Amino acid sequence: MTITLLLQSILAGLTNGFVYGLIGLGIAIVFRGARIINAMQGDFALLGSVVAYVALTRFHLPMLPAFLVGVIAGGVLGFLVERFLIRPTEERAGTEDSYLLVTLGGAFAASAAVLLYFGRDSYVLSGVGGDSSINFFDAAIRVHAVWLIVISSLVVTGLKLFYSYTRLGQAMLAASIDVNGSLTIGINVPLMRTLTFVAGGLMGGLAGVLVAPLINIHYEMGLLLTLKGFAAAILGGLTSPLGAVLGGLTLGLVESLAIVAVSSGYKDVIAMAILILIMIVMPQGLLGRRGRRGG
Amino acid sequence: MTRAFIWSACVTAIATLLAPPSVSAQQGEPIKIGAVVSLTGPGAGLGQPERNGMLLAEKVINEKGGIKGRPIKVLIEDDGSKPDNAKSKAERLIFDEKVSVLLGPSLTASTGAVSAITNAEGMAELACTGLGPKIELTYKTLYHLLPPQLLNARAMLEYTTKVLKAKRLGVLHDTGYGQVVMNSLNSLTGAYEVEFVSVEKFEVGATDASAQAAKVRAADPEVLFIIATSPVPFRNAREVRITQPIVSAIGSSSYDYVRGMGEYADDIVFPEFVVGEDPAPHQTDFVKRYQQEYNALPKNYEAAGWDGVHIAAKAIETAGPNATRAEVAKAMRGSYSGTLANYNFAADDMTGIELSSYVYSKLVKGHFTRLPFAAK
Repeated sequence: MTITLLLQSILAGLTNGFVYGLIGLGIAIVFRGARIINAMQGDFALLGSVVAYVALTRFHLPMLPAFLVGVIAGGVLGFLVERFLIRPTEERAGTEDSYLLVTLGGAFAASAAVLLYFGRDSYVLSGVGGDSSINFFDAAIRVHAVWLIVISSLVVTGLKLFYSYTRLGQAMLAASIDVNGSLTIGINVPLMRTLTFVAGGLMGGLAGVLVAPLINIHYEMGLLLTLKGFAAAILGGLTSPLGAVLGGLTLGLVESLAIVAVSSGYKDVIAMAILILIMIVMPQGLLGRRGRRGG
Repeated sequence: MTRAFIWSACVTAIATLLAPPSVSAQQGEPIKIGAVVSLTGPGAGLGQPERNGMLLAEKVINEKGGIKGRPIKVLIEDDGSKPDNAKSKAERLIFDEKVSVLLGPSLTASTGAVSAITNAEGMAELACTGLGPKIELTYKTLYHLLPPQLLNARAMLEYTTKVLKAKRLGVLHDTGYGQVVMNSLNSLTGAYEVEFVSVEKFEVGATDASAQAAKVRAADPEVLFIIATSPVPFRNAREVRITQPIVSAIGSSSYDYVRGMGEYADDIVFPEFVVGEDPAPHQTDFVKRYQQEYNALPKNYEAAGWDGVHIAAKAIETAGPNATRAEVAKAMRGSYSGTLANYNFAADDMTGIELSSYVYSKLVKGHFTRLPFAAK
């Protein structure tokens, strides 16, 4: 294996890892704040990317406002999901499985809606820096991928500060850990749950506008992203945004290195075997109990 | 009021009597042709253009007077890209609608499910697929509108070895369509004296194949084959700076994928059958009609659907509108000069398409151009 090939596989692994991590981040935020596994997280990203694409190509907005509109669309979808899917289920004493089923149904519905109104074609969303790339020892990484890595890192840091040092962040955490206790001290638990889904939606929208320039927009991309993001979130302990990103990076790098070191035919076998080993050795996720608690 | 009414009725009656008979006037019950295609699910990229071609053919045939004065009606069902759906939809068309001929399905697995029924009924099925599992060779009324993958593989190697003069090849393929073509390519290495220096695969629907592309690049092939139903590997190959020519397969040549390739849709060669931007003389009428009808250019699968309906109509006409299904199937077994290709349904592979039917296109800055090369 040449240095170039090794570097290229690491760059590919890092890029994919952050893609998985960004989706996992949203799943972790929702699980942390609502104890619900949100199977629609990839579809938040799908909607965010579709809206950004429409804003860019049909309304001719500049890139930054178009991306912002995409992120906000994700947040709005998060709000709608909580208001019209999660809350009614909760009012009827829904269980964990019913939440999962409801969001899974929502994911298929979102995908079908995009198919209906946007068609089955693939669309290219322009990225930051267009298609230009940066070279490291003859290995290449897209400029946009570098931005994805930088922005993801900033978001993880921001979320860490938000949950640790703001009253709102702490209230959101408290509302998910102990509903009755939170109500007793005056926390508006339903509002916190709504805000949790809005935050998850915003995160999904952000993932959409950052990921779509690397993978194309397609009506089926939501569920594919959710599956990888879910694996990343579980590796990270399911409640930790930082853990989700670390989980995504682990998954991305293992896949990528398995391809160049062994064979692309055994990529999934090797990646899954290593992930199973990690989960056996560290059942609380990569960050251990502290990550599980959301520390 | 009464007088005005009488005058009006008289004028209408005279106008009706004097009017020339309509060219497309048809009498009798429509002759039903059934079709099961994938309009939703992963095979929708094939089934939707096939449906468009079929509906256009139905319209054109009926405008010309139908079959001996009787109109045709193409009944189209969506199998959702699932073999079990395809089977039940085919059963409905065959036993409830009593169609004369069945067109489709779009996918090989669904063809397998449906052809067992058409074979048992002794009725003609024009599958929108190439030859699939070997059992299909035992079905004597199953005909294929598209070439077998072995021929697609040969078409790729013809151009690569004769025009590009390349011997060391790299391959990026997906685990579905790409794997099937790859199996055929492997069986032809001796005949074309080529070597696959790196073969990398990725799952269908993968969002990234850049690590695989990097590995192929490291093997330094003279030409890269990309065989996939997605634009992702084409982008990734250029992103990791594979600068060698790319040769692809017919299944990767849709406008959908080209749009998804973005600015990387350049210097990619496809062995296919219809280049809408520059059609062969015998395809011009079809392309023109298609553009008028849909305001878009057709490609291979549209032409397959168009040919399927025309072939079925011709067989029904030859056998006679009241012929049994078996008689129609028998009438179909012969040569047919189609828009997509020249068929010989009496051939061993039940399609008879030869390399000479292929045309070669090259993507130049997102646009297909027809190449002068012809395989023999």
